[in-house]
Amino acid sequence: MTAGTRGAPPPATAAAAREGGQARPGTAGAAGPGAPGVLDRLTPARRAALRAECARLADLDDAEFGVRLLAATPTHEGRDPALLRRWAEAAAAFGVGLAADRGTHGPAARVVERDGGLEQLLLARYVSRPAPAVELFTDTLALGEELADLLGWRAWFPPGALRAAAVAHEEAHCLLHRDPALRRALRGRTGHTALRLGRFRIAGHVAGADELTAHGYAGARCGLGRSPLLLTAALASAAGALEEARGQD
Amino acid sequence: MGIVILLLMLVGVGLMLARKLPTAFALVLLAVAIAVVVGAPLTGENSIVDTVLQEGAVALAATMLAVLIGSWLGKLMEETGIAGTLVRKIVEFGGDRPTVVALGVLAVSALIGTVTGSAPAAMMAGIIGIPAMVAVGVPKTTAAGTILMGIAAGIPFELPVWQFFSTALDLPIDTVRGFMLRLFPFAAVFAILFVLVETRRRGVEHAWSLASMSERSAGGDRRRGRARQLGDAPWYALFAPAVPLVLALGFGLAIIPSMLAGVLYTLVTTTRPREMNKRLLRTLYAGFEVAAPPIALFVAIGILLAAVQLPGAVAALNPLVTALSPSHPVVFVLVFTLLTPLCLYRGPLNVYGLGAGIAGVLISAGVYPAVAVLGLTASYNQVFGVADPTSTQTVWAAQYSGVSPQQVMLRTLPYVWCVALGGLIVTAATQL
Ligand SMILES: [Zn+2]
Repeated sequence: MTAGTRGAPPPATAAAAREGGQARPGTAGAAGPGAPGVLDRLTPARRAALRAECARLADLDDAEFGVRLLAATPTHEGRDPALLRRWAEAAAAFGVGLAADRGTHGPAARVVERDGGLEQLLLARYVSRPAPAVELFTDTLALGEELADLLGWRAWFPPGALRAAAVAHEEAHCLLHRDPALRRALRGRTGHTALRLGRFRIAGHVAGADELTAHGYAGARCGLGRSPLLLTAALASAAGALEEARGQD
Repeated sequence: MGIVILLLMLVGVGLMLARKLPTAFALVLLAVAIAVVVGAPLTGENSIVDTVLQEGAVALAATMLAVLIGSWLGKLMEETGIAGTLVRKIVEFGGDRPTVVALGVLAVSALIGTVTGSAPAAMMAGIIGIPAMVAVGVPKTTAAGTILMGIAAGIPFELPVWQFFSTALDLPIDTVRGFMLRLFPFAAVFAILFVLVETRRRGVEHAWSLASMSERSAGGDRRRGRARQLGDAPWYALFAPAVPLVLALGFGLAIIPSMLAGVLYTLVTTTRPREMNKRLLRTLYAGFEVAAPPIALFVAIGILLAAVQLPGAVAALNPLVTALSPSHPVVFVLVFTLLTPLCLYRGPLNVYGLGAGIAGVLISAGVYPAVAVLGLTASYNQVFGVADPTSTQTVWAAQYSGVSPQQVMLRTLPYVWCVALGGLIVTAATQL
């Protein structure tokens, strides 16, 4: 396990002050063990159920999350899961390789912190205009930290690693966005054929492959023990539980 | 008397705007009120019962049937996976270049738009097209706008629309087709401009979202469940949306047979003989459901047209309309371009509402030649079809993309306004 090799980034509250984002001071950093978190709003029974749900998720292998992501991406409806698995593994491996190639210097996209990610079910976002920027949703990140504690996943996702992974993930999108050769290489790696006429073959784009590449890249750059998608899936479950709890209030 | 009719129309618009009454009901009430005000007899010639209600209700029957067959063909193309396959192919070929994907989806939307238009076309192209564009990095508002601009680019070739204008304005199909051919370049150019400019201006957007991993994501499940029964359509079936158009445009065949040929082509290229009967009936009946709202509207529009064309109404409105309508070509273009927003929000110039009645008044008052009224209404139709935040296709595309209809309106209005301007210039230059 290579957890924590990249060192924890500065706490989100300090970063928020630096970037002038819309983070609520105090919430994003409230992730340490024992700190009050939003998951306290759940009943003990619901929290136990959430923990069991996430434990089941942890039992799946990382590629399975890639398969699920691809299956939920339009254009892959009804495709063979074995094919999706092959694509998912290839795209993630491409991201890992990319992380090794790039050394330490990523592109300089501005990092902006925002609130309100849980409402939109967003953790982070890369926008290329007006200027390339990485938006981090601090409430979702804080919930991720809280979850990692609650579930005992700290060995896989050390404190601050999710934020670093989010930055790295969007950095990968930025790399792919700027470099057509890189996109071509990814197409070659997934090896999907869009059209074949005799010996002539056109490599097809696999929708969602760039997303899996970005996750593979982020996992490798930040030395995560598991795919960021595992924590994403857990976050989706937790967000659902919180939504239910809000409905019952 | 003319003033009273205009006031009645205002009340009708108010009722539609305030959502007190569905458009179709409001139009029928308005028609009866106009007939009463101009002193039409209850029965007999030019009467409320026999002329306005009986003859008016079936006046647009050919349009209703064309809409129904279009919905049938749409359902068939949906069920056989033709629309989905087209979008999938585009993503496979151009997937890592968002602009290319958006242009491709635009083209598919235009093609599908020629078959059914409006909401059914938006859904067919958008159900896979919108999330596919979002997945390759096209921002949401641009994705919704692309579908709508694409469908609008197909409107000039939408055969039920030809039928509608032909019957409602009493023009031969050839004349309608002639104008639509001149309107199409504007619609196409500004649709392409929309994609090129907006993808440049807004760039790409990639989200690390929780939704993709959510097991409860109902939308995803529904999409998958729906698509699993679809599968890929064979390549030669992908020409299906173009069949009616080629026959009607290329060979000058009548509209309903052209569309039936499209139904037949789709069926033969996708379905095993044993399943043909079942599939035809199933999609036909499903088509009825899809076509219900526009058909109800066309019944009401026919009734309204019959009312404003009563001799009493024509006599009352003639002096007013003549005094108000600009006759100089330049003034015509300027005034009606500025009035364009009045076709939004179920406004008085909405062609599928009161606007049809106003068009009828303009023609029966003899202010403009019928072709000029065609130019006016068809130009407005290009705006209404995309940017009206109360029209079904705009609401659907916006909500499915996760943005508000008003955002879509603001993003698309500048482009479709230019299309309307182009159409009005063509109208003024050739018909006034
Ligand atoms: Zn991403």
